[in-house]
Amino acid sequence: MICQAVESEHTARKDTEEQAKMREQLEAIRQRALAQLADDATADQIENVRVAILGRSGELTAIMRGMREVPAQERPAIGQLVNRIKRELEARIEALQERQQRARMQRALAEERIDVTLPGTRIGRGRVHPLTQVADQMIGLFEAMGFEVIATQDVDDDFHNFSALNFPPDHPAREMQDTFFLPGGMLLRTHTSNGQIHVMQHRQPPLAIICPGNCYRRDELSVRASPMFSQIEGFMVDQAGLVTMAHLKGVLSEFLRGFFGAATKVRFRASFFPFTEPSAEVDISCVLCGGAGCRVCKQTGWVEILGSGMIHPNVLRAVGYDPAQYQGFAFGIGIERIALLKLGVDDMRLFFENDLRFLEQF
Amino acid sequence: MKLPLSWLKEFVPIQAGADEISHRLSVAGLEVENVERMRPSFAGVTVGRVLSVERHPNADRLSLCDVDAGQFGRFRVVCGAPNVHAGMVAPFARVGARLGGLHKAGEAAQSLEEVPPLQAAEIRGVRSEGMLCSGRELGLSDDHSGILELEGDAPLGGDLASYLDLDETVFDVAITPNRGDCLSILGLAREVAALFGLKLKPPRVKPPKAAGGECPDIEIHAADLCRRYAGLPMGSIRIGAAPAWMRRRLELCGMRALNNVVDVTNYVMLERGQPLHAFDLDRIAGGKIVVRRAGADREFVTLDNIRRQLSPDDLMIADARRPLAIAGVMGGLDCEVSGATTRILLESAFFEPITIARTARRLGLRSEASYRFERGIDREGQLAAISRAAELIRKWAGGRELAPVRDVEPEAAAKREIELDLRRAADLLGITLPRDEVRRRLISIGAAVHNLGRDRLGVIAPSFRPDLNETADLAEEIGRLRGFEEVTDHLPERPARIMPRDPKRAFAARTRDIMLGCGLTEIRTIAFIAPDDNRRFPGFESAQPVVVANPLSTELSELRISLMPGLLAALRFNLNRQATAMHAFEIAKTFARRGDLPAESMRMAAVSYGTYMIPAVGAPPVEAGFFSIKGILENYFRALGIMDEIAFAAIDPARAPYLHPGMAAEIRLAGSLIGVAGELHPQEGARMELNRRCALFELDFGALSGFEPPPKAIQPPPRFPAVRRDLALVIDRAVAGATVLETIAQLNQPMLESVEIFDVYTGEGIAPDKKSIALSLRYRNKERTLTDEEVNRMHEELTGAVLPRLNAQMRQ
Repeated sequence: MICQAVESEHTARKDTEEQAKMREQLEAIRQRALAQLADDATADQIENVRVAILGRSGELTAIMRGMREVPAQERPAIGQLVNRIKRELEARIEALQERQQRARMQRALAEERIDVTLPGTRIGRGRVHPLTQVADQMIGLFEAMGFEVIATQDVDDDFHNFSALNFPPDHPAREMQDTFFLPGGMLLRTHTSNGQIHVMQHRQPPLAIICPGNCYRRDELSVRASPMFSQIEGFMVDQAGLVTMAHLKGVLSEFLRGFFGAATKVRFRASFFPFTEPSAEVDISCVLCGGAGCRVCKQTGWVEILGSGMIHPNVLRAVGYDPAQYQGFAFGIGIERIALLKLGVDDMRLFFENDLRFLEQF
Repeated sequence: MKLPLSWLKEFVPIQAGADEISHRLSVAGLEVENVERMRPSFAGVTVGRVLSVERHPNADRLSLCDVDAGQFGRFRVVCGAPNVHAGMVAPFARVGARLGGLHKAGEAAQSLEEVPPLQAAEIRGVRSEGMLCSGRELGLSDDHSGILELEGDAPLGGDLASYLDLDETVFDVAITPNRGDCLSILGLAREVAALFGLKLKPPRVKPPKAAGGECPDIEIHAADLCRRYAGLPMGSIRIGAAPAWMRRRLELCGMRALNNVVDVTNYVMLERGQPLHAFDLDRIAGGKIVVRRAGADREFVTLDNIRRQLSPDDLMIADARRPLAIAGVMGGLDCEVSGATTRILLESAFFEPITIARTARRLGLRSEASYRFERGIDREGQLAAISRAAELIRKWAGGRELAPVRDVEPEAAAKREIELDLRRAADLLGITLPRDEVRRRLISIGAAVHNLGRDRLGVIAPSFRPDLNETADLAEEIGRLRGFEEVTDHLPERPARIMPRDPKRAFAARTRDIMLGCGLTEIRTIAFIAPDDNRRFPGFESAQPVVVANPLSTELSELRISLMPGLLAALRFNLNRQATAMHAFEIAKTFARRGDLPAESMRMAAVSYGTYMIPAVGAPPVEAGFFSIKGILENYFRALGIMDEIAFAAIDPARAPYLHPGMAAEIRLAGSLIGVAGELHPQEGARMELNRRCALFELDFGALSGFEPPPKAIQPPPRFPAVRRDLALVIDRAVAGATVLETIAQLNQPMLESVEIFDVYTGEGIAPDKKSIALSLRYRNKERTLTDEEVNRMHEELTGAVLPRLNAQMRQ
């Protein structure tokens, strides 16, 4: 800006006196304005300068307006000078305003500082019940092995829950499953094995089915038992010789290793269920101690996990299959039992009390 | 079934350790649930005889005893017991002995090593070299009244622990219902022999001594329930205590010792699985036993002195006049063997399992006998058992046979021959089965086997294995005796086929995801509830409850009609544990009577209580209430793409009396009622001591998951802008927002894209029975940009049409 001023003096050498006077006057306005537009000028001061010099009735505006009194040959030079001063002052004002706005923003930002460590606005996150999570995981593994999922009814009759599954009337085996009876000769199923009968009555082999669902037995809710609990029944039926005990072992071992980890050891123990022959209970190496012996496995290294076997010929007969032509295996898994082991808790009531402090951990 | 190792060894020369026996039995289907190892709680105690007793020179209550401890020599002992006397045989603890019972009075020490050894001591100036012991000091009983007196023939200087047989291992074996034969030591011994390849040595039973008297007549009037009845009269009985070893074995097996005759019947039952009964022969009237149904007999007093109600089909053992016992279940008080009994009639019979099971269950009377009869005893074991009992009664109760055994069997048991198809058995197990192995294993469990040709064996099942009937049964025997670990795992070869997915499961999973996003946690409640809960929460279809015939308790005597009581109980449970809010849902079955039959349906319900949207610190929270739960439902229906088919309407309070009559809605899907939503009735809230608002919904989940929304074509986003016009109407307060929207929609203005209510106002400037409702309308032409003039014209036309239809005025 100082350079510009020097240049203007240089070009003014051949100016007339009138012109020189004008130049002086403009220079004076410029100097005065620049002095007022000091670095610490307030917003009001700046505005005053703008109005007084550049405004509608400001000094520079007045000079511009009075240009027609300036001799024609001098008008361009003076006009240029006025414009130059006007631009210079406008730039100065803009720079000052910008600086002030930055300062205001800084002050505002400083004032708007919040504690970012405080929690955000939210609705709570819901959880899926642990039994649902465990069941979904189990069902997913069986689906991956080609099993089809079919849910059947909780309220059923004696035929589907007992007779067709080779429980004769008054047989002591019925007492292993103390039943809730309902009006109209109906009952609450004591196991999901009724699914076998419902499906086989309507379909022909080959079959690979799982039936998840709730079951009911007359047990008080306690650490170990619940009057309502859930199971997954599974069965596979095909031509004789195609689905054997070896395949039962293969499928269940695959499932158990898939669910509890590849290092899980699986043991089949002979047992008794009215609807399978041969029957086997399945143990896995203890999930807690890995087989060394602990509280969970009662120092045996093994925990009982499910019941299984080859479908009893009488069950096949009950649904109209010829046991000479078809054979298959079946198994039933208690979901609560698996969940207790998987989650490492030891109280069945936790699943049905719905204590949020428990559920919110899943 | 308790199996003491020492008793097992009587029948099988088993050398294996307890762990190995336990493992093999368990894997073969006889699960050993517990192995109890019994150790004496003392060491260094021998059998001693008190030779003489003198008064202690310095103490009135003490005596000085001279004790003969056989090989260990003679000792001088100071004793304070009042019952000590010369000639007494008693436990003698030598110096260095450890007495578990002495360490902590009345309670055995954790480990005998912790107990300090007994030292010689000077007692009132006399040195005592050992100690005579009471039952408590030995940890055998709580008796501390005097020295434990042993039987006179106890070996002097012998180790007391081995004399009393205190080193013992007892297996607790869980017997499955098909293995009645293993409810006996002999049956378990047979299994152990088969599993370890050992030879079974059953006790040799001598037939009863011939006698010339008359046995009471035996008449079987119910041959379908009693297949065989054998009776043996014995006299010269002297009732007294059974020998210690027999009493101890009964106790190890969980039975109480009573007297020599009853103990023998129980001992033989434990040994062979055949329940026996002894009647007082002199109480049998008319010289005969009649096995018959109870018929007209209505009551009977059992030997536990309880009057039992009979059913006409109960099988009874009677004499000429009256019933003497409920067959196979319990004897009568009248003819029980007592201290005065001198003559008895021994009974050994086969009763049909079903009749015993039915009677025992009805009377709630489970005895060791009924337990065995129910599961099926040896069809041909009656004579061996009665002979064995006679032999023991002769020896331990002085009895004499009065007559030969009278054995009545209306029809001899048929031999059951099973045609074993070796190929089928191999197919079931998935292994190859060498014929020799099959033969050997079946013989080891008592079957007789003969060849029937290629791939066929004839197998005569033993009379104690009624569970063996066809090839599959025999395949199991072979498989379990070989061990299922010998069956190699295989995965089935199956065609690569896409399995159909259950659409209902997928729908439930999707629903859960949406509910989680809305902040609801899934819970699980039990389907059984109290009748009062069903009465107060009868669902939204006023259903009739399903009553459980045999509930656990009144509080759990009905099946839930609605999921709401369970959700509310869970809410109360959490509030009682300092929770202040709960937002939860459940998808589960509910039950109602349809006609006379119980029927089930799938429901989803939710409860929302307390702060729903948690604000930043210092800002006001959004509390759960009607609109928050309705918002959840709207989110859900939008996510499912069915919001256009859903309608909320004010509820008929009779439909859901448990909801606030003014803050509840019924929900319709394509016109059908599928649920309700609203705030809990304040009266119910007060009842549950809730102090904040509680919102609920319940939906027919089956109907919802079965609904297929109409297909929707995907639209590209509009290219031309919409124009918004607002409209404020003053209408009757009772007119619902939905009615306003419907009225506008019915005008079918083609350019009207959407209408939203953005404010409802009552109060100053509005008449008390009116409200102002502010609407925002968006107009759009898909083909071009609308001009202001066009929009104004449409909006004025629409306003003009709406006002009379709603009886509304423009708000000034």
